[in-house]
Amino acid sequence: MLVAVVTALIAALIAVVVIAAVFVVRARRSTPQVGAKKGVSQVDTVGVGSSSFARQSAAKAARDGEVTVSSSETSANAKPSDGMTRRFFGLGILSAGILGVLTTKLWSMQILDNSEYAHAAEENLYTTVNTPAPRGCIYDRNGVPLVINRSTQAVLADPEVADNRDVIRRLATVLGLPANVVAQRIADSSAGAQSLRVVADDVRLRDVAFIAEHADAFPGITVEERSEREYPYGALAAHVLGYTGSPTKNQLEEKREGRDLLAIDTVGAAGIEATYDDVLSGDHGERLVMVDAGGAVVSVMSETQPSKGSDIYLTLDAKAQYVADKALADLIAPYGVIGGGKGTKGAVVALDVRDGAVLVMSSFPTFDPTNFTGSIPDELWEIYRRPTAYAPLNNNCISGQFMAASTFKAFTSLAGLEYGYANEGSTWNCTGKWDGFGSGDVQKCWNHDGHGTLDLHGGIVNSCDTVFYEIGKAFYDHGPEGSGEVSETAMQDYVSQFGFGSQTGVDLGGEASGVVPTPAWKAETFRNRPADGVWRGGDYTNLVIGQGDLLVTPMQVACAYAAIATGHVMKPHLLEEVRNGQGDTVVTYQPEVSRTPEVTESHLNYVRDSLHDMIKESHSVAPLFAEEGIDAAGKSGTGERQDRNDTAWFVAYAPYDDPKYVVACVIEDGGGGSDTAAPIVAEVMGALFDSENGKSDVSIERLPGSTGESVEISVDSGARTD
Amino acid sequence: MAELPQIHSVHHHASHAAHGASSRSERPSLFSWLNPPLLIVVGLLVSYGLLVCWSAVQGLEKYSFNRQLMCVLIGLVLMVIVWRFDYRRLANLTTALLALNVILILSPHIPGLGTDAGMGAKSWIKVGMQVQPGEFAKVTVILYAASLVARYGGTLDDVREYCKVVGLLLVPFLCVMTQPDLGTGLVYLAISAAVLVMGGAKARYLLITLALGIAAIAAVFAVDELLKYETSPGQYEYRLLKNYQRSRLFVFLNPDADLSGDGYNLAQAKIAIGSGGLFGKGLLNATQSTHGFLPEAPTDFVFCVLAEEFGFVGVVALIALYGALIAVCLSVARGADNLYGMLIVMGVIGMWLFQILENIGMDCGLMPITGIPLPFVSYGSSFMIVNFVLVGLIGSVGSHNSVSGRKATP
Repeated sequence: MLVAVVTALIAALIAVVVIAAVFVVRARRSTPQVGAKKGVSQVDTVGVGSSSFARQSAAKAARDGEVTVSSSETSANAKPSDGMTRRFFGLGILSAGILGVLTTKLWSMQILDNSEYAHAAEENLYTTVNTPAPRGCIYDRNGVPLVINRSTQAVLADPEVADNRDVIRRLATVLGLPANVVAQRIADSSAGAQSLRVVADDVRLRDVAFIAEHADAFPGITVEERSEREYPYGALAAHVLGYTGSPTKNQLEEKREGRDLLAIDTVGAAGIEATYDDVLSGDHGERLVMVDAGGAVVSVMSETQPSKGSDIYLTLDAKAQYVADKALADLIAPYGVIGGGKGTKGAVVALDVRDGAVLVMSSFPTFDPTNFTGSIPDELWEIYRRPTAYAPLNNNCISGQFMAASTFKAFTSLAGLEYGYANEGSTWNCTGKWDGFGSGDVQKCWNHDGHGTLDLHGGIVNSCDTVFYEIGKAFYDHGPEGSGEVSETAMQDYVSQFGFGSQTGVDLGGEASGVVPTPAWKAETFRNRPADGVWRGGDYTNLVIGQGDLLVTPMQVACAYAAIATGHVMKPHLLEEVRNGQGDTVVTYQPEVSRTPEVTESHLNYVRDSLHDMIKESHSVAPLFAEEGIDAAGKSGTGERQDRNDTAWFVAYAPYDDPKYVVACVIEDGGGGSDTAAPIVAEVMGALFDSENGKSDVSIERLPGSTGESVEISVDSGARTD
Repeated sequence: MAELPQIHSVHHHASHAAHGASSRSERPSLFSWLNPPLLIVVGLLVSYGLLVCWSAVQGLEKYSFNRQLMCVLIGLVLMVIVWRFDYRRLANLTTALLALNVILILSPHIPGLGTDAGMGAKSWIKVGMQVQPGEFAKVTVILYAASLVARYGGTLDDVREYCKVVGLLLVPFLCVMTQPDLGTGLVYLAISAAVLVMGGAKARYLLITLALGIAAIAAVFAVDELLKYETSPGQYEYRLLKNYQRSRLFVFLNPDADLSGDGYNLAQAKIAIGSGGLFGKGLLNATQSTHGFLPEAPTDFVFCVLAEEFGFVGVVALIALYGALIAVCLSVARGADNLYGMLIVMGVIGMWLFQILENIGMDCGLMPITGIPLPFVSYGSSFMIVNFVLVGLIGSVGSHNSVSGRKATP
């Protein structure tokens, strides 16, 4: 219809142009005839003719003010245009030239460059507005929800509302925000010029209803359902789950592959949220809208709904996790204040020794990620940064580095056995004091009275330092300083097979490597104080009992004890499986052996047996496991530090004859390992078996985050007890 | 003024002769004074223009299409009156025309009468409705310039006389620059130039005048650069040319420099034209104007609406109509039997040509941006009426020949 009208119009126009042209041509044709007559008249008339004489005289006459222009009949045939033929011609050329240049320019714009301009016109007209997608949820191995989404009501404003003071004032009143904050949020275009501006995130339904009922008073204001992270159990497994935040500038610029990150998104900032951000994040909804010059949406052309991210099932056992989290909190800060109980920092790690699945990863002090949705509140951030808060955001299980203390003796035993510096028949005499190097610098066994004569088994069970001093000395005596049979790092290399000194590779960020000191490491570390950087025999005797410069993470200790139980170091992992929106499992974690230490099976069995007896023969520890009905093998540790309370360790695996789980616990400033850490290990181990047998009566409750408060802890000067 | 030559005889003899000729010749047709090609071309241009104007004002409350239609009717009536009026009666009124021009152009400065219509420049007056006297003055400027130059009978080769004429022709321009309205002023200059060239001024003088004009423009910029003062750090205010005039000029020279301010208008105008393609997007489908990307769509940028809706085909149709209009006018000029009539037509041609060049040229980035309307198409009451009056004048020149005109040649 329209095309027909336009075509008819154009046809009519062309027809008229032709007709006009014909008239013009006819008019032109008549001119030469006139010209011919003029030619004749020109000779004998003095008019406004073309001869220069005539013109000059006419001009002269004109100045005299007496001229008469074409007053006679004959001269009237001469026209003023006759003398101007060249200028007429020139003007005609100029007109044609102007119209021609315009036509050419328009031709080049409309025909040659059409696609460019058409594209620009479309870019003007259409804008894609993205809507954030809900993130996937996180569950424990049994489907207990750990992170879910809560739908919230967000109040959004059209960018134009920024100019409407009345609406801003009303919004401020309803939402209980200062008017300048409201105005500032509406003016913030960081999410895109056409995007609606978020005035408030999580608005009470009552306020939303008020806005909806008085829509006339709130032009340009809409309410949209958004999703926000919710943590049903508060601080439970907070360090594993992590938290989310708005993307940083760097993240937005980075343009990670497979992740279309926009400013409107939330992005994992720590923990599983960060590690598996790509899995958890969904696909944006897209709205293709037509806009006008002011940016107002005229109509929505097409719309795709956002699709939720995939859900993650973790290897964690929420009930055992709860037991561990609660045990740490009750031990360290029974009234919410660190220093009110025993210790300042703590960590519990439980693994399935068979596949490296992390069943419990508990760290204290902790935090409640609920407080971190959106952004971390400044006040809380200030409190948590203080040294007296003991770093609640730090995951002590993988980022915390502690002295290993006597838990390390299991590995130095194996080293001694492997190198033949100890065997089943070796015996040593412990007097409580040891000066094997004859330097006069006497080292003591924790039992100052001495253990008397014992073999390696007895040395492990009683944790006799003297026995291990001898083994350490043997490495020194056979090293480069002595007979030179073994390298100066023979012991270190051996224990490193169990994963000490390197990251375990668990699927969380921020993992520490720990330190296994070597002569080279010491020289490098003390390069500014060379006198202290000299490697001495004492370094071996310190290392052999897990003291000195050795640093380990609880995760390393748990993995290494799992290796004693099974012979393999497994790569620990938290991801069990990924399920997509339809509930189909799309990824299942495949267990991975990260190391297989070269160790003789008989030596391993010797150490296992010793660890078994350590628990059985300990007056304080044995009842803990007996109560749970668990036949465990393990080792306590008590790390001595200058002017600080001891670091308490306990690590155990069970069942002894068919190992399934390993649990490691460390409490900094906690005192004796058997007293402080062992009960927690036993309790968590019990919870794991209960869970496995379906007998668990644990009901998970919401746990609070740390307050960040602490009191000074008194230093217990009493001697080590293990 | 007294020294100016007088054209005594034109009126008495010529008009008398014309009446005599028409009465004496063979039975004249009833409408012998009509000029069908001119009427047809103008009729088509107006119809086409109204269609585009109608589509451009859709959804814009600021503009009223009925008002535009009313102006076309007023214009038609005036056209008929002027057509029948013997223009030669005005030939000797040079001084009166000059006075009329000065009064008209300066009238917005009269307190109580002038209004700046919120546009900054004082170019509007309010008499019942808002009109732009500067637009109406285009008619009187043409009559004045033609009358002035016609006195020299087609030969202007005395330096002193030439300078006097140029000086007198500059009066309307200088008056309109007090508003200030550079665009209209340039139209006056175009009219004066066309009249001067066709009035027989010596070619050398014309070239020297052109060179002096260019030098004067350069001098304005040079002096401006010396007179500028800093309003705030990095911000300069110029005294001779306003900042917006400068930015319009520089945007034309460097269109990508500022895509948010003046460059925005130009960029959007070009997008509108370019996206039209061969056949256009169709009537009322011009997204650039209906969605407000194109500012001032019905007035200064109306050509963009046409180009976007009807494409290159529609553009060529319009340019062809303009070409036909100018051709018809040229033929009227050639057929005119006295210099005054011919120069009137040349003045009109000069004006239209310049406005077409400037309006379309600025839309596609060939010319600096100024607010000059497109004849017969742009929304605007004053200019629409002026155009009809000018068509009437051309008709009057064509039909009031002392000798039997084209139609009445025996």
